[in-house]
Amino acid sequence: MRAAHPFTQLAVAATLPALAWTLPAPAAGIATAALALGLTATRGLRRGLWPALLTAAPFWLFLFLLHDARTTLAIGLRITTMVASFVWLAAALVPARLVEAMVARGWSVSAAYLIAATLSAVPTLRARAQRIVEAQRCRGLSPRGSLRNRMRALRALAMPLLLSALHDVDERALALATRGLVPGARRTPLRAPADPVLERLARWGLVLVCVGALVWRLV
Amino acid sequence: MSVRLLALIPVAVATSLALSAAVDAVALPLFLDTTGTILATALAGPAVGIATGVLTSAVNSLRNPTFWPFVVVQIVVALYAWLAARAGLFRNLKTALPAGFGLGVIAAVTSTPISYLVFGCTTTGGIALTTALGKALGLPPLGACFFGSFVSDFGDKAVTFALVTSVLHALPRRTAARFPLALRAIGTA
Repeated sequence: MRAAHPFTQLAVAATLPALAWTLPAPAAGIATAALALGLTATRGLRRGLWPALLTAAPFWLFLFLLHDARTTLAIGLRITTMVASFVWLAAALVPARLVEAMVARGWSVSAAYLIAATLSAVPTLRARAQRIVEAQRCRGLSPRGSLRNRMRALRALAMPLLLSALHDVDERALALATRGLVPGARRTPLRAPADPVLERLARWGLVLVCVGALVWRLV
Repeated sequence: MSVRLLALIPVAVATSLALSAAVDAVALPLFLDTTGTILATALAGPAVGIATGVLTSAVNSLRNPTFWPFVVVQIVVALYAWLAARAGLFRNLKTALPAGFGLGVIAAVTSTPISYLVFGCTTTGGIALTTALGKALGLPPLGACFFGSFVSDFGDKAVTFALVTSVLHALPRRTAARFPLALRAIGTA
Protein backbone atom coordinates (compact mmCIF):
# COMPACT_ATOMS: atom_id res chain seq x y z
CA MET A 1 0.00 0.00 0.00
CA ARG A 2 3.05 2.31 0.18
CA ALA A 3 2.68 3.08 -3.50
CA ALA A 4 -0.96 4.02 -3.08
CA HIS A 5 -1.95 7.68 -3.35
CA PRO A 6 -1.89 9.42 0.09
CA PHE A 7 -5.61 10.25 -0.21
CA THR A 8 -6.34 6.55 -0.76
CA GLN A 9 -4.34 5.65 2.34
CA LEU A 10 -6.29 8.23 4.36
CA ALA A 11 -9.57 6.94 2.95
CA VAL A 12 -8.78 3.33 3.92
CA ALA A 13 -7.66 4.35 7.43
CA ALA A 14 -10.89 6.32 7.93
CA THR A 15 -13.24 3.72 6.41
CA LEU A 16 -12.29 0.75 8.61
CA PRO A 17 -13.02 2.45 11.98
CA ALA A 18 -16.16 4.06 10.49
CA LEU A 19 -17.48 0.62 9.49
CA ALA A 20 -16.46 -0.90 12.83
CA TRP A 21 -18.56 1.67 14.66
CA THR A 22 -21.47 1.69 12.21
CA LEU A 23 -22.07 -2.01 11.53
CA PRO A 24 -23.37 -4.46 14.17
CA ALA A 25 -20.92 -5.84 16.72
CA PRO A 26 -19.14 -8.15 17.11
CA ALA A 27 -19.24 -9.60 13.56
CA ALA A 28 -18.32 -6.33 11.84
CA GLY A 29 -15.69 -5.60 14.49
CA ILE A 30 -14.04 -8.98 13.92
CA ALA A 31 -13.92 -8.38 10.16
CA THR A 32 -12.63 -4.79 10.34
CA ALA A 33 -10.10 -5.57 13.09
CA ALA A 34 -8.78 -8.52 11.06
CA LEU A 35 -8.49 -6.32 7.96
CA ALA A 36 -6.77 -3.51 9.87
CA LEU A 37 -4.36 -5.89 11.61
CA GLY A 38 -3.68 -7.49 8.23
CA LEU A 39 -2.74 -4.07 6.87
CA THR A 40 -0.38 -3.39 9.79
CA ALA A 41 1.23 -6.79 9.17
CA THR A 42 2.16 -5.59 5.68
CA ARG A 43 4.37 -2.93 7.36
CA GLY A 44 6.29 -5.66 9.19
CA LEU A 45 6.20 -7.01 12.71
CA ARG A 46 8.22 -4.22 14.38
CA ARG A 47 6.73 -1.19 12.61
CA GLY A 48 3.19 -2.44 12.15
CA LEU A 49 1.61 -5.40 13.89
CA TRP A 50 3.49 -5.25 17.19
CA PRO A 51 2.91 -1.51 17.92
CA ALA A 52 -0.77 -1.94 17.02
CA LEU A 53 -1.21 -4.89 19.39
CA LEU A 54 0.75 -3.16 22.18
CA THR A 55 -1.34 0.02 21.84
CA ALA A 56 -4.64 -1.87 21.81
CA ALA A 57 -3.82 -4.25 24.69
CA PRO A 58 -4.33 -1.79 27.63
CA PHE A 59 -7.79 -0.90 26.29
CA TRP A 60 -8.83 -4.55 26.44
CA LEU A 61 -7.59 -4.77 30.02
CA PHE A 62 -9.47 -1.66 31.17
CA LEU A 63 -12.60 -2.64 29.21
CA PHE A 64 -12.51 -6.00 30.93
CA LEU A 65 -12.26 -4.24 34.32
CA LEU A 66 -15.12 -1.81 33.59
CA HIS A 67 -17.59 -3.79 31.45
CA ASP A 68 -19.14 -7.20 30.88
CA ALA A 69 -17.69 -9.64 28.31
CA ARG A 70 -20.13 -8.72 25.53
CA THR A 71 -19.45 -4.95 25.78
CA THR A 72 -15.71 -5.57 26.16
CA LEU A 73 -15.70 -7.57 22.92
CA ALA A 74 -17.77 -5.01 20.98
CA ILE A 75 -15.82 -1.90 22.06
CA GLY A 76 -12.46 -3.71 22.12
CA LEU A 77 -12.77 -4.78 18.48
CA ARG A 78 -13.73 -1.26 17.44
CA ILE A 79 -10.78 0.27 19.30
CA THR A 80 -8.44 -2.38 17.87
CA THR A 81 -9.66 -1.51 14.36
CA MET A 82 -9.07 2.18 14.99
CA VAL A 83 -5.64 1.68 16.56
CA ALA A 84 -4.46 -0.72 13.85
CA SER A 85 -5.73 1.55 11.04
CA PHE A 86 -3.88 4.57 12.43
CA VAL A 87 -0.70 2.60 13.17
CA TRP A 88 -0.76 1.38 9.58
CA LEU A 89 -1.39 4.93 8.33
CA ALA A 90 1.47 6.35 10.42
CA ALA A 91 3.81 3.70 9.00
CA ALA A 92 2.63 3.91 5.38
CA LEU A 93 1.90 7.61 4.85
CA VAL A 94 4.88 9.69 3.77
CA PRO A 95 4.17 13.31 4.86
CA ALA A 96 6.09 14.81 1.93
CA ARG A 97 3.93 12.81 -0.53
CA LEU A 98 0.77 14.00 1.23
CA VAL A 99 1.87 17.63 0.92
CA GLU A 100 2.68 17.15 -2.78
CA ALA A 101 -0.69 15.47 -3.32
CA MET A 102 -2.50 18.36 -1.59
CA VAL A 103 -0.67 20.95 -3.67
CA ALA A 104 -1.37 18.99 -6.87
CA ARG A 105 -5.06 18.90 -5.95
CA GLY A 106 -5.08 22.71 -5.67
CA TRP A 107 -4.92 23.15 -1.90
CA SER A 108 -3.34 26.43 -0.85
CA VAL A 109 0.32 26.52 0.06
CA SER A 110 -0.69 27.56 3.62
CA ALA A 111 -2.40 24.22 4.26
CA ALA A 112 0.58 22.34 2.85
CA TYR A 113 2.95 24.45 4.98
CA LEU A 114 0.94 23.78 8.15
CA ILE A 115 1.23 20.01 7.76
CA ALA A 116 4.89 19.96 6.72
CA ALA A 117 5.99 22.55 9.33
CA THR A 118 4.09 20.85 12.16
CA LEU A 119 5.56 17.43 11.43
CA SER A 120 9.08 18.90 11.35
CA ALA A 121 8.59 21.18 14.40
CA VAL A 122 7.43 18.39 16.74
CA PRO A 123 10.74 16.45 16.93
CA THR A 124 12.72 19.72 17.07
CA LEU A 125 10.81 21.07 20.06
CA ARG A 126 10.75 17.67 21.76
CA ALA A 127 14.55 17.56 21.56
CA ARG A 128 14.71 21.14 22.87
CA ALA A 129 12.39 20.25 25.78
CA GLN A 130 14.68 17.36 26.68
CA ARG A 131 17.74 19.65 26.55
CA ILE A 132 15.99 22.16 28.84
CA VAL A 133 15.17 19.40 31.33
CA GLU A 134 18.81 18.28 31.37
CA ALA A 135 20.15 21.86 31.57
CA GLN A 136 17.89 22.76 34.49
CA ARG A 137 18.89 19.58 36.31
CA CYS A 138 22.55 20.53 35.83
CA ARG A 139 21.73 23.89 37.47
CA GLY A 140 20.39 22.06 40.49
CA LEU A 141 16.66 22.00 39.74
CA SER A 142 14.98 19.26 41.72
CA PRO A 143 11.80 18.09 40.00
CA ARG A 144 10.67 15.84 42.86
CA GLY A 145 9.45 16.36 46.42
CA SER A 146 6.30 18.23 47.48
CA LEU A 147 3.56 19.28 45.07
CA ARG A 148 4.65 22.92 45.44
CA ASN A 149 8.23 21.95 44.57
CA ARG A 150 7.09 20.03 41.49
CA MET A 151 4.89 22.88 40.29
CA ARG A 152 7.85 25.27 40.60
CA ALA A 153 10.00 22.81 38.68
CA LEU A 154 7.32 22.48 35.99
CA ARG A 155 7.28 26.26 35.53
CA ALA A 156 11.08 26.35 35.32
CA LEU A 157 10.98 23.65 32.63
CA ALA A 158 7.99 24.85 30.61
CA MET A 159 8.63 28.61 30.49
CA PRO A 160 11.94 28.50 28.57
CA LEU A 161 10.40 26.08 26.07
CA LEU A 162 7.30 28.20 25.47
CA LEU A 163 9.18 31.51 25.28
CA SER A 164 11.85 30.16 22.95
CA ALA A 165 9.11 28.63 20.77
CA LEU A 166 7.41 32.02 20.48
CA HIS A 167 10.77 33.54 19.59
CA ASP A 168 10.93 30.97 16.77
CA VAL A 169 7.66 32.33 15.37
CA ASP A 170 9.36 35.64 14.50
CA GLU A 171 12.21 33.88 12.71
CA ARG A 172 9.87 31.55 10.84
CA ALA A 173 7.59 34.41 9.79
CA LEU A 174 10.59 36.36 8.48
CA ALA A 175 11.86 33.29 6.60
CA LEU A 176 8.45 32.67 5.04
CA ALA A 177 8.01 36.32 4.06
CA THR A 178 11.44 36.47 2.39
CA ARG A 179 10.57 33.30 0.45
CA GLY A 180 7.43 34.95 -0.85
CA LEU A 181 4.93 32.71 0.94
CA VAL A 182 1.63 34.52 0.76
CA PRO A 183 -1.34 32.81 2.45
CA GLY A 184 -3.72 31.49 -0.20
CA ALA A 185 -1.03 31.28 -2.87
CA ARG A 186 -0.76 28.16 -5.05
CA ARG A 187 2.42 26.50 -6.19
CA THR A 188 3.35 23.85 -8.73
CA PRO A 189 4.17 20.45 -7.20
CA LEU A 190 7.60 19.08 -8.02
CA ARG A 191 6.75 15.38 -7.79
CA ALA A 192 3.01 14.89 -7.54
CA PRO A 193 2.10 11.28 -6.60
CA ALA A 194 0.32 9.33 -9.31
CA ASP A 195 -3.43 9.11 -8.79
CA PRO A 196 -4.80 6.40 -11.14
CA VAL A 197 -8.48 6.38 -12.08
CA LEU A 198 -8.89 3.04 -10.32
CA GLU A 199 -7.81 4.54 -7.01
CA ARG A 200 -10.12 7.52 -7.40
CA LEU A 201 -13.00 5.14 -8.06
CA ALA A 202 -11.96 3.05 -5.05
CA ARG A 203 -12.05 6.14 -2.81
CA TRP A 204 -15.55 7.02 -3.98
CA GLY A 205 -16.48 3.38 -3.45
CA LEU A 206 -15.29 3.58 0.17
CA VAL A 207 -17.36 6.72 0.72
CA LEU A 208 -20.43 4.97 -0.74
CA VAL A 209 -19.85 1.91 1.47
CA CYS A 210 -19.71 4.12 4.59
CA VAL A 211 -22.83 6.05 3.62
CA GLY A 212 -24.63 2.80 2.70
CA ALA A 213 -23.71 1.23 6.05
CA LEU A 214 -24.96 4.29 7.92
CA VAL A 215 -28.25 4.39 6.01
CA TRP A 216 -28.75 0.63 6.50
CA ARG A 217 -28.24 1.03 10.27
CA LEU A 218 -30.54 4.02 10.55
CA VAL A 219 -33.42 2.71 8.44
CA MET B 1 -4.31 35.02 7.93
CA SER B 2 -0.94 36.79 8.15
CA VAL B 3 2.36 34.97 7.73
CA ARG B 4 3.14 35.48 11.45
CA LEU B 5 -0.08 33.74 12.52
CA LEU B 6 0.56 30.97 9.97
CA ALA B 7 4.02 30.45 11.50
CA LEU B 8 2.53 30.42 15.02
CA ILE B 9 0.29 27.37 14.45
CA PRO B 10 2.95 24.62 13.91
CA VAL B 11 5.04 26.02 16.77
CA ALA B 12 2.03 26.03 19.12
CA VAL B 13 1.14 22.44 18.15
CA ALA B 14 4.71 21.31 18.73
CA THR B 15 4.89 22.95 22.18
CA SER B 16 1.74 21.09 23.28
CA LEU B 17 3.40 17.81 22.38
CA ALA B 18 6.90 18.73 23.61
CA LEU B 19 5.66 19.72 27.07
CA SER B 20 5.20 16.04 27.85
CA ALA B 21 8.98 15.94 28.53
CA ALA B 22 8.57 18.55 31.29
CA VAL B 23 5.53 16.72 32.72
CA ASP B 24 7.44 13.42 32.73
CA ALA B 25 10.35 15.08 34.55
CA VAL B 26 8.18 16.33 37.43
CA ALA B 27 5.98 13.20 37.45
CA LEU B 28 2.68 15.03 37.86
CA PRO B 29 -0.65 13.62 36.58
CA LEU B 30 -1.04 16.33 33.94
CA PHE B 31 -1.44 16.34 30.14
CA LEU B 32 -0.86 20.01 29.20
CA ASP B 33 -1.89 18.95 25.68
CA THR B 34 -4.05 22.05 25.25
CA THR B 35 -1.29 24.55 26.13
CA GLY B 36 -0.55 25.37 22.49
CA THR B 37 -4.26 25.75 21.69
CA ILE B 38 -4.85 28.14 24.60
CA LEU B 39 -1.65 30.10 23.95
CA ALA B 40 -2.34 30.45 20.22
CA THR B 41 -5.92 31.57 20.92
CA ALA B 42 -4.85 34.09 23.58
CA LEU B 43 -2.32 35.52 21.13
CA ALA B 44 -4.20 35.39 17.86
CA GLY B 45 -7.88 34.58 18.27
CA PRO B 46 -10.21 31.63 17.69
CA ALA B 47 -9.39 30.73 14.07
CA VAL B 48 -5.70 30.22 14.88
CA GLY B 49 -6.64 28.45 18.13
CA ILE B 50 -9.03 26.04 16.44
CA ALA B 51 -6.50 25.28 13.68
CA THR B 52 -3.89 24.62 16.39
CA GLY B 53 -6.29 22.35 18.31
CA VAL B 54 -7.30 20.32 15.26
CA LEU B 55 -3.68 19.89 14.16
CA THR B 56 -2.65 18.91 17.71
CA SER B 57 -5.27 16.17 17.74
CA ALA B 58 -4.26 14.99 14.26
CA VAL B 59 -0.54 14.78 15.09
CA ASN B 60 -1.25 13.21 18.50
CA SER B 61 -3.42 10.61 16.74
CA LEU B 62 -0.44 9.35 14.78
CA ARG B 63 1.14 8.47 18.15
CA ASN B 64 -2.05 7.38 19.92
CA PRO B 65 -5.16 7.11 17.69
CA THR B 66 -7.56 7.52 20.60
CA PHE B 67 -6.85 11.28 20.61
CA TRP B 68 -8.70 11.94 17.36
CA PRO B 69 -12.33 11.73 18.59
CA PHE B 70 -11.42 14.31 21.26
CA VAL B 71 -10.75 16.94 18.61
CA VAL B 72 -14.10 18.43 19.67
CA VAL B 73 -12.61 19.16 23.11
CA GLN B 74 -9.74 21.08 21.50
CA ILE B 75 -12.25 23.22 19.58
CA VAL B 76 -14.25 23.92 22.75
CA VAL B 77 -11.00 24.80 24.57
CA ALA B 78 -10.07 27.27 21.80
CA LEU B 79 -13.49 28.95 21.93
CA TYR B 80 -13.39 29.17 25.74
CA ALA B 81 -9.84 30.58 25.67
CA TRP B 82 -10.96 33.19 23.14
CA LEU B 83 -13.76 34.35 25.44
CA ALA B 84 -11.33 34.36 28.39
CA ALA B 85 -8.81 36.41 26.40
CA ARG B 86 -11.48 38.90 25.31
CA ALA B 87 -12.53 39.27 28.94
CA GLY B 88 -8.89 39.84 29.97
CA LEU B 89 -8.85 36.80 32.24
CA PHE B 90 -5.14 36.22 31.58
CA ARG B 91 -4.32 39.48 33.41
CA ASN B 92 -3.10 37.67 36.54
CA LEU B 93 -3.21 34.30 38.28
CA LYS B 94 -6.17 35.34 40.44
CA THR B 95 -8.36 35.56 37.34
CA ALA B 96 -6.62 32.88 35.28
CA LEU B 97 -6.87 30.03 37.81
CA PRO B 98 -10.68 30.21 38.27
CA ALA B 99 -11.02 30.50 34.48
CA GLY B 100 -8.86 27.37 34.16
CA PHE B 101 -10.98 25.49 36.68
CA GLY B 102 -14.06 26.52 34.69
CA LEU B 103 -12.48 25.15 31.54
CA GLY B 104 -11.71 21.91 33.41
CA VAL B 105 -15.41 21.41 34.11
CA ILE B 106 -16.41 22.27 30.53
CA ALA B 107 -13.70 20.00 29.08
CA ALA B 108 -14.85 17.14 31.32
CA VAL B 109 -18.49 17.65 30.28
CA THR B 110 -17.44 17.69 26.60
CA SER B 111 -15.14 14.69 26.77
CA THR B 112 -17.37 12.45 28.90
CA PRO B 113 -19.90 11.49 26.16
CA ILE B 114 -17.05 10.85 23.69
CA SER B 115 -15.15 8.76 26.21
CA TYR B 116 -18.32 6.87 27.21
CA LEU B 117 -19.79 6.19 23.76
CA VAL B 118 -16.61 5.62 21.76
CA PHE B 119 -14.19 4.06 24.24
CA GLY B 120 -16.32 2.78 27.11
CA CYS B 121 -14.32 5.19 29.37
CA THR B 122 -10.97 3.51 28.71
CA THR B 123 -9.10 6.33 26.96
CA THR B 124 -5.99 6.35 29.17
CA GLY B 125 -4.89 4.25 32.10
CA GLY B 126 -5.35 7.07 34.62
CA ILE B 127 -8.86 7.94 33.49
CA ALA B 128 -9.87 4.27 33.34
CA LEU B 129 -8.65 3.76 36.90
CA THR B 130 -10.48 6.84 38.24
CA THR B 131 -13.57 5.66 36.36
CA ALA B 132 -13.21 2.27 38.08
CA LEU B 133 -12.90 4.15 41.39
CA GLY B 134 -16.10 6.07 40.58
CA LYS B 135 -17.87 2.78 39.87
CA ALA B 136 -16.57 1.35 43.14
CA LEU B 137 -18.00 4.44 44.91
CA GLY B 138 -21.42 3.51 43.52
CA LEU B 139 -21.70 6.04 40.69
CA PRO B 140 -23.73 5.05 37.58
CA PRO B 141 -21.61 4.27 34.43
CA LEU B 142 -21.93 7.76 32.90
CA GLY B 143 -21.35 9.41 36.30
CA ALA B 144 -18.23 7.29 36.87
CA CYS B 145 -17.01 8.25 33.40
CA PHE B 146 -17.54 11.96 34.18
CA PHE B 147 -15.73 11.49 37.49
CA GLY B 148 -12.72 10.05 35.63
CA SER B 149 -12.66 12.88 33.08
CA PHE B 150 -13.24 15.54 35.74
CA VAL B 151 -10.36 14.36 37.95
CA SER B 152 -7.96 14.49 35.01
CA ASP B 153 -9.19 17.75 33.43
CA PHE B 154 -9.92 19.96 36.44
CA GLY B 155 -6.35 20.49 37.64
CA ASP B 156 -4.79 20.10 34.20
CA LYS B 157 -6.67 23.02 32.64
CA ALA B 158 -6.04 25.29 35.66
CA VAL B 159 -2.28 24.61 35.45
CA THR B 160 -2.40 25.19 31.68
CA PHE B 161 -4.18 28.54 32.12
CA ALA B 162 -1.63 29.57 34.78
CA LEU B 163 1.25 28.59 32.50
CA VAL B 164 -0.15 30.52 29.53
CA THR B 165 -0.73 33.57 31.77
CA SER B 166 2.91 33.43 32.92
CA VAL B 167 4.11 33.20 29.31
CA LEU B 168 1.93 36.11 28.14
CA HIS B 169 3.28 38.31 30.95
CA ALA B 170 6.88 37.21 30.34
CA LEU B 171 6.69 38.17 26.65
CA PRO B 172 8.34 41.51 25.83
CA ARG B 173 5.60 44.10 25.21
CA ARG B 174 6.83 44.70 21.66
CA THR B 175 6.62 41.00 20.83
CA ALA B 176 3.16 40.68 22.38
CA ALA B 177 1.93 43.70 20.40
CA ARG B 178 2.68 41.84 17.16
CA PHE B 179 -0.17 39.42 17.92
CA PRO B 180 -3.72 40.75 17.61
CA LEU B 181 -5.18 39.58 20.92
CA ALA B 182 -2.19 39.33 23.30
CA LEU B 183 -2.40 42.75 24.97
CA ARG B 184 -6.15 42.49 25.44
CA ALA B 185 -5.75 39.03 26.98
CA ILE B 186 -3.42 40.38 29.69
CA GLY B 187 -5.65 43.40 30.24
CA THR B 188 -3.31 46.13 29.00
CA ALA B 189 -5.25 47.14 25.89
